[in-house]
Formats: sequence, C-alpha cells, structure tokens
Amino acid sequence: MDASLILQMTLATIGAVVLYTFIGFVPGTDETSVLMPVTLAIVLAGVQPIVVLTFFIAAIITLNLMNAIPTALVGLPGGVMSTPMIEHALYLKDRGLAATSIKKMATGSIIGTAIAVPVSLLLANVLAPFSESVKEYAPLLFVFGAIFLALIGKNKILALMSIIPLALLFQGLRYLYWGIGAVPQDKSVTTSFFLGITIGPLIVSLLGLLNKQARDQLPRHEQKDIILDTTEEKGALRHPLRTISKKEAATSGIVSLLSNFLFFLSPVGLTILFGEAVSNKEKDPEKKASMAITSMSALSHATYLSGIIIPLIALGIPLSPVAVGPANALFNAPPVLTIDHNLHHILSTNEFIFAIIFAAVIASVITYFIAVKYARKMTAFVLKRIPHEAILGLFISFILLLAYLDAGFINIFGVLLVGIVCGTLNKMGVNYGVQFMILYAAPWLATHLLLN
Amino acid sequence: MKKNLIEIWGDLVALKDLLIAIAICSVTTMGGFFLAPSTDATKQLFFGLAGAVIGFILSSILIKPKRTVTEEEK
Repeated sequence: MDASLILQMTLATIGAVVLYTFIGFVPGTDETSVLMPVTLAIVLAGVQPIVVLTFFIAAIITLNLMNAIPTALVGLPGGVMSTPMIEHALYLKDRGLAATSIKKMATGSIIGTAIAVPVSLLLANVLAPFSESVKEYAPLLFVFGAIFLALIGKNKILALMSIIPLALLFQGLRYLYWGIGAVPQDKSVTTSFFLGITIGPLIVSLLGLLNKQARDQLPRHEQKDIILDTTEEKGALRHPLRTISKKEAATSGIVSLLSNFLFFLSPVGLTILFGEAVSNKEKDPEKKASMAITSMSALSHATYLSGIIIPLIALGIPLSPVAVGPANALFNAPPVLTIDHNLHHILSTNEFIFAIIFAAVIASVITYFIAVKYARKMTAFVLKRIPHEAILGLFISFILLLAYLDAGFINIFGVLLVGIVCGTLNKMGVNYGVQFMILYAAPWLATHLLLN
Repeated sequence: MKKNLIEIWGDLVALKDLLIAIAICSVTTMGGFFLAPSTDATKQLFFGLAGAVIGFILSSILIKPKRTVTEEEK
C-alpha cells in the first residue's frame, strides 16, 4: 500500500465526513437516497475500490450521527434511522438537555462503531468459507430474500403480492430496451431502476400535485417555527465515556453486539426493537429517555456497519437490507462493478480490514468532535440557508442524469414508470428493502414463470 | 401570514419555488451532461454532477427556506 493510496483514502474519508455532515442535518432525507447515488457516482467515476469502501464506511458513520442531531435540537429527524429517537429526544429537549443528549448520542455512536467493526469482521471471516456454496444459489436466494423481507415487514400479504408483478415490470423494461436496441444485449439496466425505486414516493407526491383537485385539497401550512435553544453548557469537549453512565455504556455495548448477529434484518427495525426494550427497563423518565437515545445511537451504527461489512466480505452478494439498499453500488454498479466482480472479489481480507478500520477511526473522531462542538451552529446554518426546494431539485436532476447515462432518452420515461409503480407500492406499504430485493430476483422469476 | 405551503418528503415547500428549483437544477445538470464529449461516459457523469451542484447552489441562493428559526436561551 503506497502513500498516494493512503492520501486518497484520507481525502475520501474527509470528503465523506464533510458532505454527509451537511446532508445529515437536512431534515427528512432518506439514507438510501442520499448514500446510493453518491456512492454510485464515485464507483462509476473509476475511483479505486479500496477508496470507495473507505468513503462509504466514513459516510455511514457520519450520516447516522448527524441525522440524530436535529432530532435532539429541534425534534426534526435528520433521516429514517433517527425517527425512533424522536419521542425520547423531545423529552430531553423540553427539559433543556438538548446538548447533553447530543453528547450521549455521539458517545453511543462511538460505542456502536467500536463494537460492530471488530465483531462483524470476525463474523464475516467465520461465514466466508460457506460463501461458495451460497453463491451457487444466489438467484434463488434473492427470491427468498424478497419473500423473507416481505414476511418480516408490516404488510406481509401486500408485499408478497407485489413480488411477481414488480419483477415483470423490471424485466419487461429490460427486454424492451434490448428489443429496440436502447442498450446492448449484454447490458442489464439496473442502477437507474434502483434510483427509480428510491425516488418513487417523491415522484408520486410530485405528480399528485399536477392534479388540480387533489392539489386544492392538500393541507396548507404556514412557515414552520423552529426554536433553537442556545443555552451554552460548560465543559464542552469531554472524554466520551464521561458523558454517559456506566449502565448506559454497558447496555449500548451489549445490544450493539447482539445486533451484529442479526445483520440480515432491517436496521431501523432492530434499533426500535432493542432500543425500546432496554429503555423500558428504566423507571425514571429522564433516565429512560437518555438510555433510549444512547442505545439507539449505538444500534443505528452497529446495525448499519454489520449490515454492510458481513455481506460484503463473506458473501459478495447483497443479502441484507443495508447491502441491497444504500450500499448497493458496492456490489453492483455496471460496468465497473457487477455481482460476479465487485469489492468482495477485488479486495483482499487485509485490505478490507485496513480500509474499514481506517475509515471508522478517522470518521468517528472527527464526527464526535463536530457533534459536540458545532452541532448548534450547523443546525442553524442548514435550517436558515438550505431550502427544501433546492434539495428536491437536486434529487430530480440526479435521476435525470443517471437515467440518461444508463440507457438514453427513453430511460427517463422508463425510470418515471418505475418510480410511479414503486412509489405507489411504497405508499401502500411495501418497503424499499422488498422492492430492491425484487429487482435482483426479477431475472430468475421472469424465466421460471413459463408454466404452460 | 398566508397559508400556502405544502409538505413533501418531510418538510414544507412553496409550489412555485419547487418548480423553479427543479427547472434550475435540471437545466444545469443536463447542460453539464451535454457539454461533455459524448464519447466519454465518465466525463458526462462528472460534468452532469458539477451541473447539479451548481444548480443546487443557485437555487439555495434564489429561494428562501420556509422555516422561521428563533434562537433563544432557556
């Protein structure tokens, strides 16, 4: 490993921290839609695989912590992973403890990372020998994956029913593109369909606005009033472990450890499950809320890291909700990475370990510092200066660009179609994980349905 | 104050501003894309992304966020 590679990895880590610190503070942004397109762009740009991995690990560590900060300060969740914390963070904020809860979240994130990195590296190496036999059945595993994710979700029958029709939509578009020569026969359009799924709910909301009757019936709001507590607290930068109690530290550590073994489940689901379970044991409401935010912060890091590290190192196929969603570009970003030739195949075990630890340590230290020192200023900046309209505009133009790059002009409408169907299913209650898994399962499903 | 904002994706927007932002970002992004040599997919991606960032900055300058932030000490 030479110096220029280390320099690139350092720059990638710092770049990820800076970018996702800002994005993290923006209320309401979904992890998949902010992580996937950027990672994809970096992969397609031909950045070295080890640098891409460093970037991604630093990005999820930063994003998970920064998402929690607006939750603590103003009660607006920065992303989906911080929604479980809202109630508890609001309780602490109303008692003037917003700054304390940020410190607890920051420490929780360090605990979650410190546990998840070694444990999932270890687990991955234990599972790795089985990967060859697993890979033979990869196409079938995606089908089972889709069924499994449908069954652990909230709307089981609805999700199950959507599997085959959605698979037909994806394959239908692919065969159409091959048929009319929009893409060469050996190219399977994937990335822009992924984005179509991600952006689906937004597309459905935006198109709904074009219906005048529906538009007139929408609830109208006044400008949102947000109160930012500027009370300064003493002793701003302390040793991480002094911001939380021993019990909080131990509990966060244990739940983080447990969650690693459940890497194939949804991170947000695990965070709610374990976080609520341990905080409900506390009788005192203040202790309960602070146990909840500390453990949930640790959990959100641990579940995310294990969800990417284990499938990436052990299997090389995206068989976890994190791998198939936000981290998808690390497994499959044609033409640079494919299911048979991705980070799993390119990087050695030592390179994996080095890159992951490198990114985790640097990103944790910087984000801890930023969270504890500058949380308030950054929240104020983002809330005052960045209009939500600009963020939506940025997303839409991203989709346009990547759709065009993937299969030309026609694909803008193909992605629009995918967005309308997937967004509608999403609003009906079929979550992202199921839909992403269906995209992988689609080729097998379509060719095995000829029963006549 | 007039009630004219709608909620999309977790935050409030004004319809007119949203249309402006989408128009600006789309034009700068695809503008960047078509400026790049059409034989080089990597350059097309990069020019497009640069266009997207320019569009984002432009719309952030032109459009006011729909949030009133009050800072107060407890």
